[in-house]
Amino acid sequence: MCHHGDRTILFPFSFEGDYLTMDLENHAGRPPFANIDNVSFLYQQHGHDPIQALSHVTLDLKKGSHTAILGRNGSGKSTLARLINALELPSEGTIIVAGYDTQDDQNIWEVRRQCGMVFQNPDNQIVGTTVEEDVAFGPENLGFPQPEIRLSVDKALVRVNMLALAERPPHLLSGGQKQKLAIAGILAMQPSCLILDEATSMLDPATRTDFMALVAELIQEQGLTVINITHHMEEALLADRVVIMNDGHVILSGSPSEVFDRVQLVKSQGLDVPVHGEILNRIAELTAQKPQPFESSEWESARKAVVRLLKSAAPEKLLSVLREHQRRQASAHTLASLGEPVIRVENLSFTYSSGTTLESKALQNVSFDVRKGELLGIIGHSGSGKSTLIQHLNGLLRTQSGKVTVLGHDASENQAIRRIRRHVGLLFQYPEHQLFEETVFQDIAFGPRRLGLDAAEVEKRVLWAARIVGLTDEELERSPFELSGGQRRRAAIAGVIAMRPEVLILDEPAAGLDPAGREEILGYAARLRDEGSTVILVSHSMEDVARLSDRVLALKDGAVLLFGTPAEVFAQTETLVAADLSVPRTAVFLRDMKADFPDISDQFYTVESAAFELIRAAVGRCES
Amino acid sequence: MISNISLGRYYPAKSILHRLDPRTKILSAFLMMAVIFLSRDLLSMGLLGLVTLALIGLSRVPVKQVLVSLRPMLFILLFAVVLNILTISGDPLLKIGPVIISEQGLITALRMGSRLILLILNTTLLLTLTTTPIHVSDALENLLGPFRKIGFPAHEMAMMMSIALRFVPTLLEETDKIMKAQSSRGADYDTGGLIARARGLVSVLIPLFVSAFKRAEDLAVAMEARCYRGGESRTRLRVMKYQTRDALFGIGIGLSSLTILSVRFWPL
Repeated sequence: MCHHGDRTILFPFSFEGDYLTMDLENHAGRPPFANIDNVSFLYQQHGHDPIQALSHVTLDLKKGSHTAILGRNGSGKSTLARLINALELPSEGTIIVAGYDTQDDQNIWEVRRQCGMVFQNPDNQIVGTTVEEDVAFGPENLGFPQPEIRLSVDKALVRVNMLALAERPPHLLSGGQKQKLAIAGILAMQPSCLILDEATSMLDPATRTDFMALVAELIQEQGLTVINITHHMEEALLADRVVIMNDGHVILSGSPSEVFDRVQLVKSQGLDVPVHGEILNRIAELTAQKPQPFESSEWESARKAVVRLLKSAAPEKLLSVLREHQRRQASAHTLASLGEPVIRVENLSFTYSSGTTLESKALQNVSFDVRKGELLGIIGHSGSGKSTLIQHLNGLLRTQSGKVTVLGHDASENQAIRRIRRHVGLLFQYPEHQLFEETVFQDIAFGPRRLGLDAAEVEKRVLWAARIVGLTDEELERSPFELSGGQRRRAAIAGVIAMRPEVLILDEPAAGLDPAGREEILGYAARLRDEGSTVILVSHSMEDVARLSDRVLALKDGAVLLFGTPAEVFAQTETLVAADLSVPRTAVFLRDMKADFPDISDQFYTVESAAFELIRAAVGRCES
Repeated sequence: MISNISLGRYYPAKSILHRLDPRTKILSAFLMMAVIFLSRDLLSMGLLGLVTLALIGLSRVPVKQVLVSLRPMLFILLFAVVLNILTISGDPLLKIGPVIISEQGLITALRMGSRLILLILNTTLLLTLTTTPIHVSDALENLLGPFRKIGFPAHEMAMMMSIALRFVPTLLEETDKIMKAQSSRGADYDTGGLIARARGLVSVLIPLFVSAFKRAEDLAVAMEARCYRGGESRTRLRVMKYQTRDALFGIGIGLSSLTILSVRFWPL
């Protein structure tokens, strides 16, 4: 089939897909909803060869089923969604949705009414100037009589719990509310299917969970068929069927437990698998054993399997694996003790629109320091003040009360601001939106030039930054707007690191990327820290912050909730959960092992380190 | 950075003027405009002033708020008045150096000034202050509807207007974000010469345009996915319906206009 564990092998040959048992008896009793039969799709590009986005895809979707479609960017997932909604028509093959052939012009509107679609960017799908007007857009287009529009709008708003916001203009809604509004707009058209096209990728984890809970309720209550195109493995686990796509092909299809049991294959697609499955597979690999089928998919079965494998492994084997690991650890880079403070924040408070009805306290009495050469992770729920805080660190926001000292300069002084900005680089979320020059090279050079460097030094820095983020010379000479989304992100990151700031602040640098892209971008943060920069990483992912950071700052409602090493912070489970934050899964998994290995520590935040901690605990148990 | 721009000076209140059908208000505004342009003498101007005062009363918008709406036009107002005073010749009233101010010039200037003020007050009272932009766009679509037969794109215009209104706050937010991002890269929008500042603007405008195009593209797809196919056979959530108050208001404005025009053309 395919080469397990080898990331570089894509599927150059025609691939028929691996349909697991689930598909053969897929909800045998349920009537079909959509029938995708041998569909191919070519994107016609102006002046270029057409791109084959889909090749011979065949899928059956049953009524009321919940299908998750996973795959890297460019794997054809979104194209498939657009074909189901008749926004595009297949170049080859047929798609029947709710009994209608999408290629028949007469059916287009009925197909689109039945299949509502929620897109990725919450802002770019709202048409109305108020919430209720936006919900009414679909029914208006369909020509519903006025009383019926009113009724369906109100019903839809009640369903998503937003009736009280009916008159609100959309720009005053949160991201989660905007996506719920999009769902309401679809519900008002009385659909039978909901297609989510990376609809949660711009939401934070807590909001995402909330949104998916609403989707689950809709499946229950209204029997909607749901197709969720996503990068998030957690969402795929909620589906009753997972389809993995690569390069326009379906390469794996089955129930979540079937699909995620194939840890190596899924990982080779640049996708995430549940952490328990990954730990189990790593332990199996290290102890040269094999887990039973389906043991990897469930938390409890994986936990039991890990215990069994560790107990059945030869003690000498475990010991030698552990020795080898410890030898490697000893030579690897370890962080020296913390350096002197480069940023000191004392009793910082900040209020937006002070004295008006829109007044909101964004920061309250925040104090912490950032030490030279460390990677500081900042976590917090949306609206906890993270973005307000980091804007103080390079003088974009002026201190109202309290004190911010950056590299010895008081950030409230006007003369200090310029100096601070030279030394503190700030990369905003979705930084690719700030590209503007004619070529990528020019764009990366913008910052260094503003520093007043000579041409030779500017060029040196641009090439250095480009190498770190992996941009080729050929790409440097292209227009930034010709690059793919991922490459644009890299170019924007290079634009900030080329200024060689002493302190680099990254606000969700990996937001919206697929897991493999995510891993790569976060790798730059660690690499820059290793090269001596001080890095501040704002992230919603506890896993990323825990494994990358030297220290962690957790914010809640504008105040410091916790501040310390990852081990100190993530030990406070209750405090974190109360702030809508969480403990990394690896730590939870290790805690769950306490019954079998009493001396196990839960302070390990990568699969690799957790696996070795398990082996260490197992060796310890043998010895005692 | 862009926080002090307030958009659409709609003043929310529950007054008769607020509740009138927007079409009534648009038509009345046009009628008042015509009357203001036609009146010249003191009496008709005075009567117009009374009507304006009555409208302020009906709107329940604080007088201060109403006067604020004159601010953006202040420059044009002063310019017109000064130009009239200085250029119209007649019986000299005052002589300062080479500048001669004539009686006729002064009267014309005052008349011009009060007309402009009346014009601005009436339209803002009837339209911007008491009517949300989206209602104006709905009403225009409705009023211009009959011209569709001769190919006038009434629906498309209204849709464009409403989408523009929807996206103005989003794009403002985005501008702010881009400016902050470029400032972090060393761009400076507050100091430096004209050329430096213009160059600085490029770093804001290009990303802004690129993003606006991307948004437009996304929005078009999202609209299609929600079955948008132009104005044909489209129904509306908000159906405009003339009420008794529209009739009464119309009669009131109509009678006042008639009175003003009759004193203007058939003075006692």
